[in-house]
Amino acid sequence: MDLYNTAKKLEGLQTVDSIAKNLGIDRRTAINYVWMLRKEGFVETVYGKRRIRMYKISPLKPNKLGYPGLYEYLNQNSKIKIYAPYAERIYGHKPTPEEMVVRAVKTGDLRTILSSLALFNKIKNWRRLSEIARKELVGRKIGALYDTAKIIIRVRRMDKKTRKALLNSRIKNKQIVKYARTKDLQHIQKEWKVYLPFNKADLEAYRE
Amino acid sequence: MINLQEQIGLFKIIGSQLKNKVECIAIGGSAMMFYGAKNATKDVDMVFSKKEDLEDVKNILYKSGFDERNNIKGIFREDETAGKPTMMDGKDTRFDLFLNEVIGFQIHKDTIERIKEVHDFGNFTVKTASPEDILMMKACTERERDRDDAAELVRKFNIDWNAVINESSKQTKIGIAAFPVLLYDFLTELRENFNVDIPKNITKELLLIAEKRLEELKKQDKLIKVTKYK
Repeated sequence: MDLYNTAKKLEGLQTVDSIAKNLGIDRRTAINYVWMLRKEGFVETVYGKRRIRMYKISPLKPNKLGYPGLYEYLNQNSKIKIYAPYAERIYGHKPTPEEMVVRAVKTGDLRTILSSLALFNKIKNWRRLSEIARKELVGRKIGALYDTAKIIIRVRRMDKKTRKALLNSRIKNKQIVKYARTKDLQHIQKEWKVYLPFNKADLEAYRE
Repeated sequence: MINLQEQIGLFKIIGSQLKNKVECIAIGGSAMMFYGAKNATKDVDMVFSKKEDLEDVKNILYKSGFDERNNIKGIFREDETAGKPTMMDGKDTRFDLFLNEVIGFQIHKDTIERIKEVHDFGNFTVKTASPEDILMMKACTERERDRDDAAELVRKFNIDWNAVINESSKQTKIGIAAFPVLLYDFLTELRENFNVDIPKNITKELLLIAEKRLEELKKQDKLIKVTKYK
């Protein structure tokens, strides 16, 4: 059986039923095909709602050199999953949660930033976070997002020195997401002098 | 020739020595190695959008033992400067650094949107061009080994032929007017000599685009003759 051509034919996101339909085989055979494709490294399993299994099939085996990029990192560490617009790898050093939070904010994408709130629970080195955030001119945005994360999830305590450094930091513009403002969470916005992009209802995604 | 591990090693050296963030797009064999579609490449081709970025990388390569090659011949006799890269020769490999265009193929917003992978080497970010773009860029060259690579690309990837058609049409306006003709020749050769499955309606459509654009240029009296160096 030519598994490479089968993987090429099935390229994209599939379920067992869609594989069975595409190849004109029954469900049980489709499961066997997935098993064989996975053994060859053509399949990655992702879970949809209600834990339904979906298979990301590609004829090219994914490059596993280096470390996972932002989107893979968020999907591993956050409850809110994101569809990666491209595959990303980081070389030379293991990415830290401090670095990833800043990267997420710099994307300016609402869902990516919402997903990155979970990383505040992983941060151990507040000084490093402060340094990276100030260097990338997103210090106050990070501070505001930390306070927002505190509302909905359990996070580690930010030390006073970091908080003060972030409060006094310079930023490029006040909007975390372009043209997105909320009337909720006014106290946080006032303190950090930035515009938060999501309201309280958006944060409920962490409770689901 | 260098393999993926060695290429990554070189990119890490560049990334560690750059003072500012630099972005580029890897094309050709270099990108194919990232996709796992090729094991080794002779030259590492990269496209930059800023002249300063290209110069920064060039200087680092020079300090790492690469020498700039002079007297590079252009692709077209009538336009010596078109798409001429900066070539940096090393012991086992060569870096071809392009600025915004690759032998007449213009890099623009859509090319960047089609990017499939991003590789981060500290201050050096390497994005990989989509298989469709790599295929089209290969159509502009006359090298035999590019045909092998292109055949491999069509065999290994599900090429989005609609993207190829749209891009060809765009390139007639921003790049080489005769681009669809070059691509038509290239794809026909691939189909006939390499036995690659390329839909016939695609090549037909390419000819139509070329005829339409050449007719427009003829009416405007802007048609010029270009000859490729052999």
